[in-house]
Amino acid sequence: MATIVIMPKQGQSVESCILTEIPKKVGDKITKGELLFAYETDKASFEEFAPVDGVLLAFYYASGDEVTVLKEVCVIGEPGEQLSANQPAASVTSEKEIIVMPVKDEKAVVVTSALPTEIVPGVSCFISPRAKILAAREGVDIASLRGTGPNGRIIEQDILAYLTSKPKITPLARKKADEEQLCTNCTGTGLGGSITSKDLKQVGTAEVTDEFEIKKLSNIRKLIAKAMLNSLQNSAQLTHHLSADARQLMSLRKVVKKAVDEGYKTNITLNDLICFAVIKALKRFPQVNTHFVDDSMKYFKKIHLGIAVDTDRGLMVPVIRNADDLSIQGLSNQMREIAAACKKGSINPELLASEAATFTVSNLGNYGVEMFTPVINLPQTAILGVNTIIPRPKELGDGVYGFVPHLGLSLTYNHQALDGGEATRFLKQIATEIENLTIEL
Amino acid sequence: MSKNYDLAIIGGGPAGYVAAERAGHKGLKVVLIEKGELGGVCLNEGCIPTKTLLYSAKLYDNAIGAGKYGVDAKEVTFDFGKMMSRKEKVVKKLVGGVGLKMKEHHVEVIKTEAYIKGRSASGISITAGDEEIEATNLLICTGSEAFVPPIPGLGTPNDTILTNREILKLTELPASLVVIGGGVIGMEFASFFNSLGTKVTIVEMLDEILTGMDREMSVMMRQMYAKKGITFHLSSKVVEVKGTEVVFEKEGKTESVTGEKILVSVGRKPVTKGFGLENLSVELDRGGIKVDEKMRTNVPNVFAAGDVTGFSLLAHTASREGEVVVNNLTGRNDRMRYNAIPGVVYTNPEFSGVGLTEEKAKEQNIAYRCVKLSMAYAGRFIAENEGGSGLCKVLVGDKYGEVLGVHMLGNPSSEMIYGACMAIEMEMTLKEMEEVVFPHPTVSEIFKETIFGF
Repeated sequence: MATIVIMPKQGQSVESCILTEIPKKVGDKITKGELLFAYETDKASFEEFAPVDGVLLAFYYASGDEVTVLKEVCVIGEPGEQLSANQPAASVTSEKEIIVMPVKDEKAVVVTSALPTEIVPGVSCFISPRAKILAAREGVDIASLRGTGPNGRIIEQDILAYLTSKPKITPLARKKADEEQLCTNCTGTGLGGSITSKDLKQVGTAEVTDEFEIKKLSNIRKLIAKAMLNSLQNSAQLTHHLSADARQLMSLRKVVKKAVDEGYKTNITLNDLICFAVIKALKRFPQVNTHFVDDSMKYFKKIHLGIAVDTDRGLMVPVIRNADDLSIQGLSNQMREIAAACKKGSINPELLASEAATFTVSNLGNYGVEMFTPVINLPQTAILGVNTIIPRPKELGDGVYGFVPHLGLSLTYNHQALDGGEATRFLKQIATEIENLTIEL
Repeated sequence: MSKNYDLAIIGGGPAGYVAAERAGHKGLKVVLIEKGELGGVCLNEGCIPTKTLLYSAKLYDNAIGAGKYGVDAKEVTFDFGKMMSRKEKVVKKLVGGVGLKMKEHHVEVIKTEAYIKGRSASGISITAGDEEIEATNLLICTGSEAFVPPIPGLGTPNDTILTNREILKLTELPASLVVIGGGVIGMEFASFFNSLGTKVTIVEMLDEILTGMDREMSVMMRQMYAKKGITFHLSSKVVEVKGTEVVFEKEGKTESVTGEKILVSVGRKPVTKGFGLENLSVELDRGGIKVDEKMRTNVPNVFAAGDVTGFSLLAHTASREGEVVVNNLTGRNDRMRYNAIPGVVYTNPEFSGVGLTEEKAKEQNIAYRCVKLSMAYAGRFIAENEGGSGLCKVLVGDKYGEVLGVHMLGNPSSEMIYGACMAIEMEMTLKEMEEVVFPHPTVSEIFKETIFGF
């Protein structure tokens, strides 16, 4: 008898939770009371423990997935027990029963002690109990439906959607959808709006109409969206702009380039040099190397520098821990490694948490951006935006003016934590460090 | 004072009058502007008059061949003048019928030339004679005209050089006819005149007649007509016309053929000039008005349907396109599909097809299976076609067995092909087709028989 574990409902307003940890793999042995998965709502984290002994037969989601509450998350059963709708599964056609057992606090976990429907070999009718009752009542042929639940499971919504729209589907489209596992939840372009074989789409792809296309947000995009809005809604941020004479910076870069041409191993970039200067400034301004949390300020003894990295999968801000201990060469090497790890997707997720960094640098200079207002990664207190280098008129002495390359710096800070004067002095300090930067190769 | 309409339609052919009828029926305030007779090319100088004449020719053929069926018809003759005047009567009746339909559905018909002045605050401004029209939506169905290629000596149609328009006005049967272009129009006229004893020669530039139709059946049809006395010159490019002499190049050699009359039927071109289309900045594509699957042009509220779009050039396509426009205007999401548009050549025997041909399937790399069966497998065909032959060919998708194309050579395929259209539109597979009951005995059973061949 297989046991299905669902996502518990955490309070009235919670509609979905994000899976944060799945310690077991499908096929692993499970002991009752063992951690099955950890998940979080927008407010808190929770853990779900195994209700029975057995083997993890199926896990419908991956870590980071958002799961609607009361949806099936995983199945625990006997070793070798089959539950795929496509396989003969005589062993799980036993009596269906739904046990509602009270677990932890007031919340209830619904545990189904068997697969909720008989599985007819070769017919796709993996269906939730509610869907099954509704389908029976409305006379819906469930064999002709394709579910949108985990593993193509038919859920109540599918029956409802079918009943409201009753999309006609051509025999070919039906066959093709079944055989190639294509989604029939699409706009029909055939006779009377029926779904033709050309309308079918891969499961999970965008909904396309004549006017627009709806694409589900990726998990990383959801996280970024949440973090960005949270930042702007929950802090008093503003930005100061200033520029630093970039001649010293550029000459250092020239020296590095020449050395690299001659075989020097570390190709120190402009950004590496700027971050190195920022770290120096941070050392003088401990009030910026902080987190602002509720009614207190958390002063860090070490500098953990967050670096904004643009990847194909979206913006990532990995952290270089203990950046204040690093030489310019060490910093440069770490920056390169961490950016590559982000782009490859192999970055340790712990290094991406906004709590992990104490200050962040976002460099858009490469793209020619002249000025911008970076958004703070809360609970950090400030973020530095680095802009492109622009020649600006400057007095060179004796009333002589010339064009001097200047690097634009944009500091966004949380005015709850810092005053304008402090922020300006810190920004000025960065400029000074950049203008007077020296390194040893 | 200008008059306001929900929909103005320029051109009263199969796209225009059908759209007008449907829109009027749905309660839209519609004006239809037509400079000639209602019904367009189809009713006045295309489908209907030619089919009327071809029926006369078929009756004549059948009377001559009646002996094979045990009927003795002696001294069978025909009266060309009567055939032509009956054709006029049929056309008149149908054109009148369209007029009545317009009245029935409260469509205002203005019989004059239309001129689009441009966009206005309330939509599109059009002049039709003395009338100033403001329309929220505009449907352009100005159709097409015979294309006369720039070949020395061809020029504009005259007493000798004819298009479909002039040939339908002949009062005397020509002794000989040269047809330039062996497409559908060319073949139908060739068939008609051949039945009546005119010496017909077809000069076709491509290597086979009826391009686009099933090639195997096109070859069969050409051989049938060659037996009946038509001379075919394939891969022959007309280079000059000298009076009644058509000079063409064939396999590197220059040859010529003389005909009392010369029919030019190499193709048709969309009519996009002369009615102010340029005042709307409507985008054109290969000479026709560019439209999307809802028949929308690039200009908001301006639609086009029928031959003026330049790609299907069939009356039934035009009507459906007109319907798509009206459906979308009246809140029904509809789109034009071109995968199941039947094509029929009304020769004797008729040649009909819908969907993919083998040639197209190969060209598009579509994996298909094909079964063909002689028409003789349908009892009714044997009963009614003494000594006749024909073929039915069905193409299905290799993997799922969905009907991709159906082609039939034999009478009355024009009346049965719609069954195949439905099968393709509905994406029926062999399994569903096998469960359909066909009336017995009919020639249509050949479709079912062929299906069981898979």
